[in-house]
Amino acid sequence: MKETNLSAAPGKGNLASKAGAILLGVGAYFGIIGALHFYVPAVQPWMHLNLGGGGQALVGATCALAGTLLLLLADDLRSRPGAATALLAVGAVALIIGSAIGLFAAPAEQFMGETQRIMYVHVPTAWSALLAITFGFGCAIAFLFNGDFRYDSRLEASIEVGVLFAFLLCVQGAIWAKPTWGVWWDWDPRLTTTAVLLFAFLGILALRNFVDDPVKRGIWSSVATIIAFVDVPIIYFSVRWWNSLHQVQSTPDTVASPFHLPLRISAFGILFLMIGFIMLRARIADQRLQQELTAPPEMMGEEAGELA
Amino acid sequence: MTGVVIGGWEYVIAAYAVTAIAFVIYGVTLVTRLREGRSRALTQGETE
Repeated sequence: MKETNLSAAPGKGNLASKAGAILLGVGAYFGIIGALHFYVPAVQPWMHLNLGGGGQALVGATCALAGTLLLLLADDLRSRPGAATALLAVGAVALIIGSAIGLFAAPAEQFMGETQRIMYVHVPTAWSALLAITFGFGCAIAFLFNGDFRYDSRLEASIEVGVLFAFLLCVQGAIWAKPTWGVWWDWDPRLTTTAVLLFAFLGILALRNFVDDPVKRGIWSSVATIIAFVDVPIIYFSVRWWNSLHQVQSTPDTVASPFHLPLRISAFGILFLMIGFIMLRARIADQRLQQELTAPPEMMGEEAGELA
Repeated sequence: MTGVVIGGWEYVIAAYAVTAIAFVIYGVTLVTRLREGRSRALTQGETE
């Protein structure tokens, strides 16, 4: 295993965090500006570079994903809890604004009526859950390749946040299913594979709690994460591969324009919350690792005695 | 049967409430665990 220093070097990663913040801002701008025109007619096409709905979504999502990755990997932010707190605050405000528009300004859907408003939290929760788990998968591979415990901390953090989001996803889905499908739960491919994901990653978190040796814990949970991650593409494609009660993925062209704005603002809100949660949780994992990797004082005393 | 869902605000409120409560509780647990970890590290530092 590589020698590990969990405390961030001063200044290291500054470029990544700045680039991440800028990209996330650009992503939010392109994601939201094009969706504004339904509510704010003053928005002109030049403001979103004349990009169509698909183009705005593509640019917004790509920049947001790249920004998220850079922020989660930036080492300088690990020693600055203020950055995570700021992201949580911005995320909470965005989620409140998105929810307010979704609940009180957006029209009801033609067939699902008011219950469709659950979409504004359900869909962003799904995106963020899969994103957190995918980031954890990347950290698992990185840890196995270079043994850097900073990836182990990020792995633990992203899995815990992913599990929280996957749990919320199942609960929100059940609440939406009752009035539309008539049942709280159905062993439908999408729902079943999501439940498998939730319990698989809960198991990995339990495994991490039972193993005291940080090296074994890191290796075992990384391997388990890589195996469990197989479920993520299955979840995504389940609605296309099998007959499913759950609808197939929507695109900006298949979602009515009044629904875009609350969905995208909530999506950025929940994304910001996810990043903030992972940053804070990774610090907790860092603290634990720091204590485990430091020689206990008793041992140091005994060793000192032997040497004397 | 019209195929249209009538009402349903109670489900919408439930979904948003569950989401908000989960985020707030998780945020509080994170802050608590961070503080515990920090005080444990301080205690360990003093012992050393």
